[in-house]
Amino acid sequence: MKEDKFKEKWISEKPIYKAWGEFILETITNELKNRGKNLEVFLKVPPICRLKQDDSLIDKAFYRPDKNYSDPYKEIEDKIGIRFVVLLLEDIKEIENILKESDYWEFDPCKHFEIDKKNEPLLFTYQSVHFILRPKNSLSFAGVVIPPATPCEVQVRTLLQHAHAELTHDAIYKAKKAVKPEVHRTVAKSMALIETTDTFFGEVVEYLNHGPVKEYEILERLNGMYELFVDIKPCTHKSSLYLWEEFEQLASIELPEDIQKFLDKYPSLKDVIRSRYSSNILYQQSVILFLYWMLKNKRKRLLKDWPFQRTLLEQMAGDLGISIRD
Amino acid sequence: MHLINLSINRIIIHQIFQRKADGSVVLPVQSHEFTKFSSSAMETFKSRVTDALGEGSRAVQMEIVSKGPSHLPSLIDNMVGQDDKNFSVSSFDIATKLTTAQQMKSIPGGIVVIFSGTYGAASKKFLGIIKAEIHSGYEKEVSKTTKEISLKFVEEVLLTPSNKLYKTAGFFERSKYDKKTNDLNKKWLVMVSDYQISVTDGKAAAKYFYQSFLGCGYPQTSAKTTKEFYEATSEFIADMDVSDEKKTDLFNALSTYLKVDTSSTISPDDFGGKYFDLNTQDAYTSYIEDCGLPTTAFTKDLAHIESKLKLRKISFSSNVKITAPLDKFKNLIVIEEIEGDLTEAGEPAQWTKVIVKDRIVHQE
Repeated sequence: MKEDKFKEKWISEKPIYKAWGEFILETITNELKNRGKNLEVFLKVPPICRLKQDDSLIDKAFYRPDKNYSDPYKEIEDKIGIRFVVLLLEDIKEIENILKESDYWEFDPCKHFEIDKKNEPLLFTYQSVHFILRPKNSLSFAGVVIPPATPCEVQVRTLLQHAHAELTHDAIYKAKKAVKPEVHRTVAKSMALIETTDTFFGEVVEYLNHGPVKEYEILERLNGMYELFVDIKPCTHKSSLYLWEEFEQLASIELPEDIQKFLDKYPSLKDVIRSRYSSNILYQQSVILFLYWMLKNKRKRLLKDWPFQRTLLEQMAGDLGISIRD
Repeated sequence: MHLINLSINRIIIHQIFQRKADGSVVLPVQSHEFTKFSSSAMETFKSRVTDALGEGSRAVQMEIVSKGPSHLPSLIDNMVGQDDKNFSVSSFDIATKLTTAQQMKSIPGGIVVIFSGTYGAASKKFLGIIKAEIHSGYEKEVSKTTKEISLKFVEEVLLTPSNKLYKTAGFFERSKYDKKTNDLNKKWLVMVSDYQISVTDGKAAAKYFYQSFLGCGYPQTSAKTTKEFYEATSEFIADMDVSDEKKTDLFNALSTYLKVDTSSTISPDDFGGKYFDLNTQDAYTSYIEDCGLPTTAFTKDLAHIESKLKLRKISFSSNVKITAPLDKFKNLIVIEEIEGDLTEAGEPAQWTKVIVKDRIVHQE
């Protein structure tokens, strides 16, 4: 195809590519929200679809000495791209899973740093994950029909990988003149450190999350119990996490069952929790069930290590008819 | 009995007075209006009641002894169903009865609070009486202009958290009973919280309140409950994951607590608090409750366990002593008279062979 025809085709098809990118973006972000992710926290850079600039597309198609496209229009797959930047390596896997599980598109992994590491173990360079997504069937979005061959490139990176890429990509890999070896070496060193740090980040998170509460999924199970018992969906605030940390040693695999037996003995607590729901944030969280259980079964321990105001405990003790005065 | 879901709908107060120096009665002062509390005042009042009578408190269960129509328990039985006007009149009768019961000149006056309402999941009726002593105290004031804090003397303050300064009695309608019964004990469960009961020789001093006034007495089952407490606690100690020496110390502590402690009440909470570490205390509290023992205090009666607590002692002339609990002595110790070495006189000495069917756990 000649350059002018190429440009014509591109301009006419831009809305299709844009619609496809936006569809993918919306689908992925909705699925992340369904999985309980707070997008503002999970994604470190706001994700947007970027249509390739007309000029750089044409430039890439016709003016690259190292690339020999026989059909540049079809072969250039990043005419529309979306980039997701997350904190941890495990977060990349989460997005990967969403991409793999969707019924809307065919998915083609065209780059993965794990594979690159295996192929070139001694090389420290740009790391990222790239997928090309094409609709399985023709679909319609925002008033535009998207044919099955339409590609969109989705990139997923950690924040550190992104920092490295931002620094090096345009400067080094697209530089016209040769870059000094010392620069390459420094860039390689920084990538090696970034890869190391990404692994450390993962270890830190693992270490911080490790503990009986996580292991036995106590928070999740109690949330379910709370919803059944009180008939309202529970919230989770920092105060819950703080309390769970304080009383972590009491977490065991039988704890949710023990709490359920306790609730069966005191069904009237349901009304108490409902009546206090709007006035006290602790009653909105499933940890309140644990606290009531502790008041009955681990009273001395609770009284000794209670981190908040005592008046709150007194109120809860009154609900159960328990004296906590010495 | 669980003191949950407490709801108080009527409160009325009267004032009673100490006897004059010559022992004559000062008549109580009657209120005719019911007390209306704001919601925070009501929450605090409920919290005083729970502190006094709830689980883990020092309240003890008592049984109704005086069942005649002029006695307090009958009066209360009638009161709970009365309309406001009659309830108010009956409540003053209660204040009068207390004045009469306070025969000793040393017993102070105070405010008598009579309150009724419902409790428990099934909203059963209850009636409570608090005798609160009046003391002076201080109130914090903040100056509106300078924002400085100062203390204002208050002549008459009552019902602060210190539950040594108020006595509480609660009559709770039992959840299940034969409606046709005439036996007040079958219908009502009585809990009394009186600090005096548990002090040395307090039983006599507390009698005016629980016996003369309330018409109640220590439950017949005290001896049984005391025995169950002793057995449950012994089992708990035996199962503890500690050294044998520590277990011996704890058994001794249990004996001391029962035999030597001058309180006339037993409180598992109290015992646990004195002798166990924090985590064990919680486990012990649960264990005691699972054994069916009361979760509050209860009156002590050693009748059934006297023999277990007695010590048998054998002394030798040379200051060697063997002591053991009476019931173990027979089973574990075998004593035999034997002939020893020849004395100077040429006669064999009288020796004693002692076999202890046990191993040494502690030497000093």
